[in-house]
Amino acid sequence: MDVLELKNVSFVYSKGTPFQKVALDNINISFEKGKITGLIGHTGSGKSTLVNLLNGLNKPSEGTVLLNGKDIWEKPKEISKIRYKVGLVMQYPEYQLFDETVRADIGFAPRNLGLSKEEIEMRVLEAAKFTGIDDSLLNKSPFELSGGQKRRVAIAGILAMKPEVLILDEPAAGLDPRGRREILGGLTEYINHNDASIILVSHSMEDMAYYCDNVVVMNKSRVFKSGTVKEIFSNADELNDIGLDVPIVAKIASKLKKSGIDLQGTLYTVEGVKEAILNYIMEGKR
Amino acid sequence: MISDITLGQFFPGFSPIHKLDPRTKIILTTLFIIEVFLADTPLLLALMLLTTVIMIGVSRISFAVVLRGIKPIFFIIIFTAFFNIFMTKGQGEPLVHFKIITIYKEGIIRAVFMGLRVIILILGTSILLTYTTSPISLTDGLEILFKPLKKIGIPVHLFSMMMTIALRFIPTLIEETEKIMNAQKSRGADFSQGGLIKRVKALIPILVPLLVSSFKRAEELATAMEARCYRGDKNRTKLVKLTYKPLDFLWFAMAVLLFGGIIALRILPGHISPDSLIYDILFYKV
Amino acid sequence: MKEIIKTKDLCFSYFEYSDNDNVNQAKIDVHALVDINLTVNEGEYLAILGHNGSGKSTLAKLLNLILTPQRGNIFIDGQDITKPDLTEDELFDVRRKVGMVFQNPDNQLVATIVEEDVAFGPENLGLPREEIRRRVNFALNTVGMSEYSGHAPHKLSGGQKQRVAIAGVLAMKPKVIIFDESTAMLDPRGRKEVVDIMEKLNREESITIINITHYMEEAARADRVIVINDGKLIMDGTAKEVFSHVDELHSIGLESPQGRELINELNKAGLNIDTDALNEDECTEAILNKLKAI
Repeated sequence: MDVLELKNVSFVYSKGTPFQKVALDNINISFEKGKITGLIGHTGSGKSTLVNLLNGLNKPSEGTVLLNGKDIWEKPKEISKIRYKVGLVMQYPEYQLFDETVRADIGFAPRNLGLSKEEIEMRVLEAAKFTGIDDSLLNKSPFELSGGQKRRVAIAGILAMKPEVLILDEPAAGLDPRGRREILGGLTEYINHNDASIILVSHSMEDMAYYCDNVVVMNKSRVFKSGTVKEIFSNADELNDIGLDVPIVAKIASKLKKSGIDLQGTLYTVEGVKEAILNYIMEGKR
Repeated sequence: MISDITLGQFFPGFSPIHKLDPRTKIILTTLFIIEVFLADTPLLLALMLLTTVIMIGVSRISFAVVLRGIKPIFFIIIFTAFFNIFMTKGQGEPLVHFKIITIYKEGIIRAVFMGLRVIILILGTSILLTYTTSPISLTDGLEILFKPLKKIGIPVHLFSMMMTIALRFIPTLIEETEKIMNAQKSRGADFSQGGLIKRVKALIPILVPLLVSSFKRAEELATAMEARCYRGDKNRTKLVKLTYKPLDFLWFAMAVLLFGGIIALRILPGHISPDSLIYDILFYKV
Repeated sequence: MKEIIKTKDLCFSYFEYSDNDNVNQAKIDVHALVDINLTVNEGEYLAILGHNGSGKSTLAKLLNLILTPQRGNIFIDGQDITKPDLTEDELFDVRRKVGMVFQNPDNQLVATIVEEDVAFGPENLGLPREEIRRRVNFALNTVGMSEYSGHAPHKLSGGQKQRVAIAGVLAMKPKVIIFDESTAMLDPRGRKEVVDIMEKLNREESITIINITHYMEEAARADRVIVINDGKLIMDGTAKEVFSHVDELHSIGLESPQGRELINELNKAGLNIDTDALNEDECTEAILNKLKAI
């Protein structure tokens, strides 16, 4: 089942001025419910514009955006309700922190939703849990925290809305490998618990390979290709043509295959390639 | 996108006005303002209008664009005109007399005169300065012109540095504001509804992050400047040296000529019989 | 070979107030760096690895005296820059020799026009106009940004802004350029542009390059890698040596490049591939040879 769907969507910036620019050109894609879909493409390929359309920050110049089969712009006055359902975590979200305490900042969106005090507190605690924020930090000022902690608080601020779809634009940018793993791992847990879906925008092919089920590749304002991770990463040449890479292990696996080593399985993660090589050896011994 | 707005309304170009030294332009603009205020007869005003029109022609900026520059102050011009029409008391019979409204010939003349004066002032200064001078060369020009003030302890270099940095960061901050607004909108913030207090309150989630990040930017920029050996204007040279060229002297000469002409025309009336028709046409005092 | 940077028992700590709601808040030292002894030779291409908050950026800021160490000595080009009677001119000479490119491309460009920004450093050095012009042209040319000399910085891409920042440092004719996580905020294309320029400057201009990063693939391209953890220098060697300690790197929250990680996993499964392979081709070959040998 699809949770979000774009039908014939186009978007033009500054229409009718000399600065006019087509950012999206007739996009047709859908995002599966309960899955993590990766969105890749160069800066300027239309990714960010697409993301802003998905949660109603911008209105498509043409076409419709459907959430659970309903046009999100059916009632333009109620577009803010859509934003609660499709939570967007922007790049470097720590820049949006403003409240006196971490607790209050995470609770900003639930307060805007008009929830009861108890409900707000519950959501704050839950969001903190998924993002790995220790309870002892909740009464601190968000500005006292380290960069990595601020990032978690900002993401928790969106999780507290309990969105059905969570869009994350480079949530791990600038973090070290451990920070990356912890944040992305927590998010996977969140969607499993809440029957939600994730759209992950990232330049890191390794993260795509490791966390995503499906991938949408954008190029020059259009959808270049979409499919399962396996489908996308099994054709490295195609991605190379538009200047994108596949994970290094995927390259190694494809080189091994070209040298006559018949590998089978998920050939784009370290784990997967390892298993494939070990299986290959076992087969040979049999 | 808001970040596309032209800063300080500068239109890049290569016209003779664009090529003038910024110092020349600052001095000429000052002279122009004085001249407009000295012009108190139809003839002198017509002379200033002609000068302005010629300058617009020379600048090669289209009249339509230049006239658009008046739009923001249009209301003020209309308002003062009306004020003049109704409030000026003339000597002869009123043109219109209806209940409390009385309009004299003098009132209309005065209204047109004042309106024209403001328009000429705005057009002339923008053509000479803001439309044709990049903010950075304007800053350079001001720094050199005001250099003598350093002797009485005014930190001219510091002011100019501050202005340069402000100009550099205005587009960045506009972009950042846009980003933060989108981020808070995604958390259900609403900037368009409610009374005044509610709206002001709604600005806090924008202003706090903007301030915090501006401080961070300032700190990082200061570090970067120090790392690049910045130590105020001590022992500092400049890449761009401003030099007066023949063109500058030509413009100076023309300006002085115009100025002399205006002074002469102001003294002249004493030598023409006040009863003659020519006197009335040329030197009608408003 | 000539030593360009040498530190001796270098220590630095930030002060923080402890978290008690007590009135008597105690001032505690947070050790950012402990007894760092590091020698860098002229012309080296060095990467410094460490997780967020490990102290690697602090080290960079000490090397051109943006921060002052509490203890220990730093020698730049043979001169002790930590001596108490360092003059202002000497200080600025250190900053000229050890240039720095920072993380956020927006927050290090000063002027509203690219070439005027590049000129900022040489202007501060008080160089004659013709010399500034020569250096600006040379620097912009070297980073491939000549055609943008009249542009406004805020209209450039992240990678282009960083290239302008590099040109700004290059125009001061430094001996060392430290890149303090200069690629962290860039997309892959911008990152490649910047790393390519680092290598070009190292090869063609013989400038000593120090790249502080947490992209393992980037560090793997350097000749030498040092790892800092909790303020201590814990590994120092060629990229191949350092990245072969896969498990040790994991234990401090870092990784090796994926090819090396794969070989490590295979070895754990009993394959025993004996190699120091690091890049994609080397790893492929090592695995292939092993498979053929079985």
